[in-house]
Amino acid sequence: MVWDYYGSSTPLKPAIAAFTKVHPEITVKYEAFDYETMQDKFSVAVSSNAAPDLATLDMTWIPTYAAKGVLADVSALSGGQLNGAPIESKYSKGALDAMTFDGHLITALYDFDAYALYYRSDIMKKKGITVPTNWTELATASKQMAEDSNGDGKPDRYALQVLPDTFHFAQLLFQNGGSLLDKNNTTAVFNDPAGVAALDYMKSLLDGGGGLYWGDSQGDSTGLPGIKDDRIGMFLNGPYMMGVLHDGDAGQSGKWAVAPAPFAKQPGSYLGGTGLSIPSNAKNPSAAWELTQFLLQPAQQQLVYTSAGAAPATTEGLAQPALAQPDPFLGGQVAFPVFRDALATATPYPYVASWPDIDKALTDAVTAALLGKSTSKEALDQAAQTVDSALAG
Amino acid sequence: MTLRAKRFALYAALVLTSLMMLVPLGWTLSTSFKHPEDVFAPGSGLIPNPFTSQAYRDVLGLLPFGRYFLNSVFVTAVVVGLNVVFDSAAAYAFAKLRFRGSSFLFGLLLVTLMIPMQVNLIPLYRMMVWVHSIVPWLGADTLSGIIAPSAIQVFGIFLMRQFFVSIPDSLIEAARLDGAGEFTIVRRIILPISLPGLATLTIFTFLASWNDFLWPLIVSSSDASRTLPVGLALLSRKNTVNWPDTMAGAVITAIPMILIFIVLQRRFVEGLTAGSVKDVS
Amino acid sequence: MAGYLLVAPALLATGAFFLIPMVLSLVWSFTKYNGIAPPTWVGLSNYTDLLSDPAFRHASANTATYAVITMTVGPALGLGSALLLNNQIKGRAFFRAVYFLPVTTSLVVVATIWKMLLNDEGLLNRLLAVFGLPGHDWLSDPSTSLLSVSAASVWQGFGFETVVFLAALQLVPRELHEAASVDGAGAIRRFWHITLPALRPTFVFVYVVGIIGAFQVFDQVFVMTQGGPISSTTTVVYYLVLRFRALDLGHASATAYLLVVVLASASAAQLRLGRRTS
Repeated sequence: MVWDYYGSSTPLKPAIAAFTKVHPEITVKYEAFDYETMQDKFSVAVSSNAAPDLATLDMTWIPTYAAKGVLADVSALSGGQLNGAPIESKYSKGALDAMTFDGHLITALYDFDAYALYYRSDIMKKKGITVPTNWTELATASKQMAEDSNGDGKPDRYALQVLPDTFHFAQLLFQNGGSLLDKNNTTAVFNDPAGVAALDYMKSLLDGGGGLYWGDSQGDSTGLPGIKDDRIGMFLNGPYMMGVLHDGDAGQSGKWAVAPAPFAKQPGSYLGGTGLSIPSNAKNPSAAWELTQFLLQPAQQQLVYTSAGAAPATTEGLAQPALAQPDPFLGGQVAFPVFRDALATATPYPYVASWPDIDKALTDAVTAALLGKSTSKEALDQAAQTVDSALAG
Repeated sequence: MTLRAKRFALYAALVLTSLMMLVPLGWTLSTSFKHPEDVFAPGSGLIPNPFTSQAYRDVLGLLPFGRYFLNSVFVTAVVVGLNVVFDSAAAYAFAKLRFRGSSFLFGLLLVTLMIPMQVNLIPLYRMMVWVHSIVPWLGADTLSGIIAPSAIQVFGIFLMRQFFVSIPDSLIEAARLDGAGEFTIVRRIILPISLPGLATLTIFTFLASWNDFLWPLIVSSSDASRTLPVGLALLSRKNTVNWPDTMAGAVITAIPMILIFIVLQRRFVEGLTAGSVKDVS
Repeated sequence: MAGYLLVAPALLATGAFFLIPMVLSLVWSFTKYNGIAPPTWVGLSNYTDLLSDPAFRHASANTATYAVITMTVGPALGLGSALLLNNQIKGRAFFRAVYFLPVTTSLVVVATIWKMLLNDEGLLNRLLAVFGLPGHDWLSDPSTSLLSVSAASVWQGFGFETVVFLAALQLVPRELHEAASVDGAGAIRRFWHITLPALRPTFVFVYVVGIIGAFQVFDQVFVMTQGGPISSTTTVVYYLVLRFRALDLGHASATAYLLVVVLASASAAQLRLGRRTS
């Protein structure tokens, strides 16, 4: 039994049809779920011993499941081999880190998410701005791009989208040489000088007049409404946004381009995506691993891009011809190498059971600092206190 | 204030509040007739331009739409039927009959309303999985599993109890003095006065069952047992929301409820004329 | 005897599908439990953790504020519109349906619509601009976010109270009003001395059910604000769901039982009040 959250554009369904032809001895019962509710559905099922054999799980949910022993040990199931070659040879180092908990592989990355800079190439060209590569240039470029036509102090055209969430703060933190928790995952370290400077920088993007605060109330975390009405001219996001733009913003075809995310000390990004996961109480783990291997074959990995508009996670999958096609939406650019490089330097979230608490504490801290309710230092110190007690509990 | 002015104020209040109710719903309706890329497009107003019924074709074309719809109809019909009978029966006992421990039992029932559903999900689902392992056509992933927890609702018992409490005891006692049996009293006196109450109960159990999402989602794992709201959620895609589809789903789901309400609201008026509350002194 | 027979089905069904699960989660509230490994007994520590957790206290305060706002405005609007609709007016059926329409819409859709109406570029701000008033980002500002969520809830929910009051108003004997009218009692006096006392059991119902619902608010928060900004809309059940998502069933269950204790005492007080004054 397979549970899938991709929705109507799933790459799994066609792949499973192909799988049953190759493996007639394995009957696959496929069930679709919706992404928003899959986490609760899955939690209830695994704790009632009614788990599916294989499920697509978001990498941000996996820390809790892994730390609580919900997921099967893929290292043992696979014998270290994926489609006849060592698993290590199929993924980049960052991806392998994201799949490993406590020395064991506990999921197989299917699609990945790591951030790059999307920008309006037409506007940048018109204004003679060069594509920013570091924080200082990004701050300057955002000021030059943005326009404030009604003079209310907030940009209303071509601004850099600033999202008050853990994903975007984590990217700046990693780029500044910081990290979320210490090596043993026992204490918060995001409130060290690197973290405070990262949050100060985030705030300076808003104060400089080039950043547009994009809170949850905007109704859409992708920013699509703001992208379409020209409020947003630059944003940092993952490869899935290419799919979102293709589907929802055909009117701006040819006006966008993608570049590596500008950084301070080193390139960096949060690393997320979808993991093909086998619950520890699955009834047919070996059949599930068989299917997992099939789904990670290059031809099937290509479907991740062609049906869902997301980025396949295996190195071979990323090298598929469909991904090397120039994208007319991005003015003929071949964008995948940008994301592949982002993946190589991305860092997964720490594997701790209380990750949802950490995420919430950080979101609160980032929001408080960006809204000017407290200084970056105060906000992060307070979040660190919350996180430390959550980690101890 | 003159009568004219009063009338005017009355209608002004009605029209103004109605507008407040209707504008957001108008937005829902108009969005359901837009192209996804027009929803947030600059200058896209309340009138869809260009107009498209694509979202409705998406929803109705959702493969087992008929299955989801029939499942919802079956679940809701059974739930409403059971609740109307058993809620009112229990409510009548709690309101008008005296028996030992009645207030304790009523309190016990009320406490079950106070526990957030999210906490009961795991124990309840385990129970359904266990039932399913013994009797394959009951429990988890069957319609019976969806129906079971809402077959008799404390909410409905409470609603009807408070309604029955409002009926003066003098009416019942007068009938008893005339030698009427308990059954006759219920049929001749209680039932006719209770029509507005029963209509309310029907509307609310219908509504709750038809819109119920969390429990049907947890207990169903395949199309055979999915209800309409759970099935419609499958239209969404990871990372993006198709607003026209979502809103078209909402509109289609709302239609049966609106119809039921329009049919039943007459009962309020008829209950008024049928109400034989004549002499309460 | 007839009494027991009539309540037996309700007791059986509720016992099986609510009381048994409740007993299980009550036991879990005294344990450390992730749903998979066997639970370990920890006594009262989940409860003491909660009471000393500032996030839980913040969530409780938010929930209380939400309950106060929605339970003062909601029933007042419900009773007001029921009284309006109980008049002999043209188009009564139409207006009744209009008030009821939002109730038929699922909470998730309602929350989504309101999110659109209240955002920076939303309808409300455009309307304010027409009157020359400054707009506001209602949901992004921690000082107005809870108020905005409450407004959406009232808008969606007061049609429920309208319907309940309207049904109950049909039980108020018309003859009493007529007699009082003849005796020279004005509309306000008649409302105060005849209508209100007759509606007392309905008030008890509306408030008991309403307060229980308000203390369990989750869907609106989940869709509109995700508990933010800066936890300004994190309610007790939102807090509970976060514990549940972290597979921390011990604290999740303990949260639920603290809620039950508060609601049970509040409901008992309301029922007693309803009985004493009648």
